[in-house]
Amino acid sequence: MALLRVIPRKATPSIFMQQVARLHNVERDKIGNRDVVGWGINGMYSYVDHVAFPMPAIRFKETTPEITALRDREKGDWKKLSVEDKKALYRASFCQTYSEMRAPDGRWKSITGWVLFAISASFWIYIWEKLFVYPPMPDTITNLEKRQAQLQRMIDIRVDPIDGLASKWDYENNRWKK
Amino acid sequence: MMRLISQRMQTAVRGSLTVARRNLKPATATGAVRFMSHEVQETDEEFDARYVAYFSRPDIDGWEVRKGMNTLIGMDLVPDPKIIIAALKACRRLNDYALTTRFLEAIKMRAETNKEIYPYVLNEIKPTLDELGISTPEEMGYDKPELALKSVFDVHS
Repeated sequence: MALLRVIPRKATPSIFMQQVARLHNVERDKIGNRDVVGWGINGMYSYVDHVAFPMPAIRFKETTPEITALRDREKGDWKKLSVEDKKALYRASFCQTYSEMRAPDGRWKSITGWVLFAISASFWIYIWEKLFVYPPMPDTITNLEKRQAQLQRMIDIRVDPIDGLASKWDYENNRWKK
Repeated sequence: MMRLISQRMQTAVRGSLTVARRNLKPATATGAVRFMSHEVQETDEEFDARYVAYFSRPDIDGWEVRKGMNTLIGMDLVPDPKIIIAALKACRRLNDYALTTRFLEAIKMRAETNKEIYPYVLNEIKPTLDELGISTPEEMGYDKPELALKSVFDVHS
């Protein structure tokens, strides 16, 4: 209980909360005179078109005299609004319709292009390093005689006799098993 | 210190012993309190009624309507036409036409796993749409992208 009593009843806003408040005010400056209409996704004054959150926190367009006039007409009978008026109202509140949000934007073309560019660039870098950076291969790899001697040595010491190299060698006739 | 511990041990052990003894006699054990959580499962009707009541509140404001719609669209369901009608009427009270179109679009997106749902919903809410003068997204031409680029597969056709 003593622990609980350390916390004052009425706390003054912490520095963190003051910063949060300042951030909110800064955001409020950034949105112009757009109406803040709701919670949106996380309570920030942001406009996002997202299929799972149909209603963003602010309207898409700033309030202009034209849209104010249209809003006044909106207060009357909606049957008197033309389709153009309805579209204007929609576009004042929202940027993209659902079908536009989900329309193909052709971005896959540039993504594919850049991925292929990166792959070919890495091949060129490999070739350049092979030519100018790496030392030549050791002769244990390039010299055929040494490699054959190494294989003979592996056969002699019976490397992997169950199902590997030595299992394939016929020790009685000194040749590979048929 | 030791005496304290032994006393505590005695009480603890005695408690378990008496419980064990009581368990030998089932007749007395039936009265024991069971510590179980009991979650009340909301039926579909109750859910619908809750949201109809939420959207039908006369003093609902734009914040609450939007929050209710966002929540509904976030759920794994297509709202019942009753709820949609209540929400559309709430939009009418708030004089916000754009919300209706947006909500119907979202419902269409939600209902697209089963092609029968959206026509059914439209059919059910048709009287309300006519009464309030609301156009469906199809009537406004929003079922197809209005301002988007043409699909690359259709460019040359």
